Amino acid sequence: MSDAAIEVTHLVKRFGPLTAVNDVTFTVNRGECFGLIGPNGAGKTTTFSIMCGFLYPNDGQVRILGADPTSPGALKQKVGVLPQDAVLPPYAKVGELLTYWAHLSGLADPQAKAKDVLERVQLPEVWDKRAGALSHGMAKRVSMAQALMGDPPVVLLDEPTAGLDPKIAAHVRQLIHEMKGRQTIVVSSHNLQELEQLCDTAAILDRGRVMQAGTMAELTARSAEFRIQIAKGNVPVEELKLLPGITSSSYDPATGALTVLFNGRDHASEEVITATLKYLIDRDVKVLTVSRGRSLEERVLQITR
Amino acid sequence: MLPASARCANFMEPARLLKYGAAAMEGLQEIGVVARHEAGRTFRSARVIVLLALYVMFSALILLVIGSISQAIGEQLKTSLEGADPQKAAEAANQLRTGFLSWFLDSDSAVLDALQQVPLVVIIVFKATLFWLPPYVVLMAFDTISGEVGPRSIRFLTVRARRSSILLGKFLGHALVLAALVFVVDVAIFVYAKVTHPDFGWGLMLVTLLKFWLASVVYALAYLALSVLCSALFRQWALSLIVNFISLFVLWLVNFIAGFGTHRELLPNGLPGPEQITSWVAYLRYFTPSYYATGLLNPAIQTFALSGAAYAGFTLLFAGAAYGILRARDL
Repeated sequence: MSDAAIEVTHLVKRFGPLTAVNDVTFTVNRGECFGLIGPNGAGKTTTFSIMCGFLYPNDGQVRILGADPTSPGALKQKVGVLPQDAVLPPYAKVGELLTYWAHLSGLADPQAKAKDVLERVQLPEVWDKRAGALSHGMAKRVSMAQALMGDPPVVLLDEPTAGLDPKIAAHVRQLIHEMKGRQTIVVSSHNLQELEQLCDTAAILDRGRVMQAGTMAELTARSAEFRIQIAKGNVPVEELKLLPGITSSSYDPATGALTVLFNGRDHASEEVITATLKYLIDRDVKVLTVSRGRSLEERVLQITR
Repeated sequence: MLPASARCANFMEPARLLKYGAAAMEGLQEIGVVARHEAGRTFRSARVIVLLALYVMFSALILLVIGSISQAIGEQLKTSLEGADPQKAAEAANQLRTGFLSWFLDSDSAVLDALQQVPLVVIIVFKATLFWLPPYVVLMAFDTISGEVGPRSIRFLTVRARRSSILLGKFLGHALVLAALVFVVDVAIFVYAKVTHPDFGWGLMLVTLLKFWLASVVYALAYLALSVLCSALFRQWALSLIVNFISLFVLWLVNFIAGFGTHRELLPNGLPGPEQITSWVAYLRYFTPSYYATGLLNPAIQTFALSGAAYAGFTLLFAGAAYGILRARDL
């Protein structure tokens, strides 16, 4: 059995003259949490929608656990989906809706499954409420609940925390964290800090193309770069370059940020960071913080500029 | 001995059959779940309750109006023929009834003979409900698909069920509601007829009720499929509604215009003879469902079967087109 849970190959989607997704290729391995990152109009939701079988690609293909999402019934019991802007049918009660969907998914004991999943998203009290009467946050969590129902092996989440208050958003992140390893998860989000925390791998999209894909460490250059926030003292920028493994260093006196690049393949990062700190402290430089790599946000801004 | 590839193919065949069989079973199960949900939702929805009330009120109104008119005509006839030979009086009443029915149903003598024993009020109200049924179906089902595609709630369904199951399930759900509704109204009509016409025998009443009910359901299904097709064409339910009503009007207009291309000679007994086509325009009506409505009441099994087949054909055509559109479209 292949390690890949999701394979997206040379995917193209056009809407009239606009090419929303242009030759997008990436692979998500089983048990991984994968992030789809990019600014508005980058093609995240379009790619996501093709993966869910909502949209047909003009070219290329998607395989989810070996199945083509455009084939009838291909995703049944394999994929749970939280669509970004799908409205819950307002006429129905939440419990009735979830039970109906569980039944349609072919799950055993649909009502119990529906109740369980509502407990998981901490909303058991809305069982008898009409979906149309729910607040945005509640509706989002009910949508999340239907995606998790039956513990499908692949879960696709489009903007899972958008519009949620911080406490609920943290709970949703916790849910995703708990699924990691057991289920393959794809998260499309604007919240880069959240993706950095949750995802093992990611693809950065811009104007319909994959600009960079890889592990989070690769994307944030965590294994080849670190930063030191300097409080006070003269930073010996040129001398630092002579330390073992360091390939370049730069210092911005205005912000107090010292950026050091090193050869992460031949040198362990902890060795290089410790040696650099020791060198600076010996020269009476006062250090505030140390952080590995850049933030994902900086990386995305750099790539999608 | 067979080559290895052929042996492998032979071995695979039952497995593949089993796979297809399981998929078909799964599809049927999905249709059942969607149909049950849809029927339950429709029965409870405010819109359908209002429509049901309107439908019953409309039928009751026609029932009362036609009932009183036919009673008044009957009494007037009785008064004017008072003292006349009873056989002649009965013949005159019968001729009046047949003349009216031949105009009202635009049918040949076979249909009129078959309906001879059925109270006039039943036939008129039945025909009137057939006229009202298509717009009723439109108001009930215009947003079957567009109501889910517009707000994208269909996305919650398509990851769980085939698009064909969703479409067929929704169609069946509405069909169940329609069948129940038409049955209630038809029973009401026949009960009224039985009360006002005590000579209307129980046996004939039950057979005619069953026949009229089946005819209404078969008729309604074709229009339901048309509504589903219109709702599959658009994302906005308002557009589906407008196009659905326009399509009804166009079908009615085509049937109306086609009527100018036919002529019926009166037979010596005063009944209309077989229909004669006088212009190519008459052929257009074969493309409209309403043309076949009276055929559903025809006692000749061939005509009845042909009309039933025509409605089945329209239903398959409209539902098939709706599926083709839903299958091919982005959601």
